[in-house]
Amino acid sequence: MVTKRVICSGCSLLCDDIIVRSDGLYIDELLGACLKGKERFDQVSAKNRIFNSLIRKNGDLEKVSFKEALDKAVNIIKNSSKPLLYGFSTVSCEAQLKGIELAKSINGFIDSNSIICQGKVLNTAKETGITLTTITEIINKADLLILWGANAAESIPRLLNKTLFSRGKFRMTGREIKTLIVIDPVKTASFGVMGVRDVALQIEMGKDIDLIRVLKEECCKTGSIPETGVAGIDRDDLKRLLLHLTGTENGVIFIGQGLLRPRKDINTVKELLELVQLVNTKQQKGRLSIIMLGGHYNMAGFDHVALSVMGKNHSLQFSDNQLVDTSETIISKIEKEDFDCSIIMGSDPVSHFPTQLSKKLIGKPLILIDNKQSATSYVADIIIPSAITGIECGGLAYRIDHVPIELGKILNPPSNILTDEAILNKFIQALKEA
Amino acid sequence: MELYKFLPKTNCKKCGKPTCMSFALDLLQGKVKVDDCTPLLESKYKKDYDKLKELIGSEEGKEKELKIDVDTDLCDGCGICVTVCPVNARYCPPTLSGKAPDYPPEKHQLFQVKSGKCELLNLEHCRRIEAEGRERECRVCETYCPRDAVKIDYV
Repeated sequence: MVTKRVICSGCSLLCDDIIVRSDGLYIDELLGACLKGKERFDQVSAKNRIFNSLIRKNGDLEKVSFKEALDKAVNIIKNSSKPLLYGFSTVSCEAQLKGIELAKSINGFIDSNSIICQGKVLNTAKETGITLTTITEIINKADLLILWGANAAESIPRLLNKTLFSRGKFRMTGREIKTLIVIDPVKTASFGVMGVRDVALQIEMGKDIDLIRVLKEECCKTGSIPETGVAGIDRDDLKRLLLHLTGTENGVIFIGQGLLRPRKDINTVKELLELVQLVNTKQQKGRLSIIMLGGHYNMAGFDHVALSVMGKNHSLQFSDNQLVDTSETIISKIEKEDFDCSIIMGSDPVSHFPTQLSKKLIGKPLILIDNKQSATSYVADIIIPSAITGIECGGLAYRIDHVPIELGKILNPPSNILTDEAILNKFIQALKEA
Repeated sequence: MELYKFLPKTNCKKCGKPTCMSFALDLLQGKVKVDDCTPLLESKYKKDYDKLKELIGSEEGKEKELKIDVDTDLCDGCGICVTVCPVNARYCPPTLSGKAPDYPPEKHQLFQVKSGKCELLNLEHCRRIEAEGRERECRVCETYCPRDAVKIDYV
């Protein structure tokens, strides 16, 4: 029985304080992990895990050998001229690198989950600039935390534990010295951790842009807050919010999914990043920074890998084994049906995307590489099982604050199951030989 | 001394104690009962007997046992109660992402997250029992639980 500290790959926080007691075959005890992490570790022997390669024959999935599944998949890819590669947010950086290599060799289009999630913030940051911070800095120095459109208490359960409640080097008293501001239209579970000094702002739905604009105006010229308040928040609360923003020593804004709602005419994220810049230039004492809350454990990784290898962080289109310029994303590609087969890697687009997109996606041959059953696995044509990164194989992953962390290996994978990286390698080799 | 006032003060030794004073002390600690003092049952001490019964009874009402309930259906193992509890705050070993509980758990540790659910280890070091004075009204684990899974009660 070995007791050791491991890194949990349940969500993007990548907690490194989880204690696992294991005999090398099973995980006997799991200490410190939240429910999300527990589910991840339970996946090893879960009911919905895929253990065999499957091929759809006459409408039913049939068990086949890995070789047969690989041959059929290679056959599909070989006969297609516009393959689509998507997912790559729950695989290691090494596998992402191989994915880009595969896309390059088959002249495909590759995109990650980040494009429908926090990739938008990074894209906007190219114009406005962004101040990032790390979890360790928040623990040791932060005194103001703003949850904007994010329900961290339920989406990333241990985030508040680590940032708001922890006792850091310069924040020895922990919770008492840190102020929490929650801006959300719904009263979520995150409101439950409020203390007496904290500010809860229940904003009207979809009115974040008005609030940001008023704050920006007030930053430039005092007295521009309307008497009646903005977006359901009264004048005094707005003044208090701005006082907190400009008076903080080390403030953090957590951008949640609530702010990322796409609007055609306005870009809320851009305005928010401009507000952060404005506040940072105005105040001399400290600074405000941003943390992007994403769910999948290596979503930030794809942006870094693609940027370092290809010079572009998402939506890579290859032609003649070269990167070509394109303004298309995975959404527009599927909407126009500009593809003839798709390779999905560790993701579940059928349940993530709207119905009309999902229908178009499943109309074409779909190859899925994943370790568990999902909505996509019920409609996929070929399913290849993979090992669970962080438990059955190691790899590099980027944390929520864009810090690379090396995941470790605890157990051995089942004999017939390969890692994501090895599977993609086999694809590349088989395509070369064919 | 309050209890001694209402005893017969004769040092009759019928209860087995050398003096009425020592009987009063044992009475306070709950080692003996009021009925063990046989002269008190006589009619002339009737008033004192009733008064003593009332005093002991009211003190028994106060001595309720502390109980912390953790609802495992609501708990999602965020571990806020583990971090926020002031008792084991200084025993946590630091990791890359902040202080973390250790294995095997410290003897001071009240809560522990195991298999995604919070469980109560022991209560003897809880601020509400252990420390004298102002720390007695500590309710941080109950206040800051985002899902209201922790409940402090006296039973």
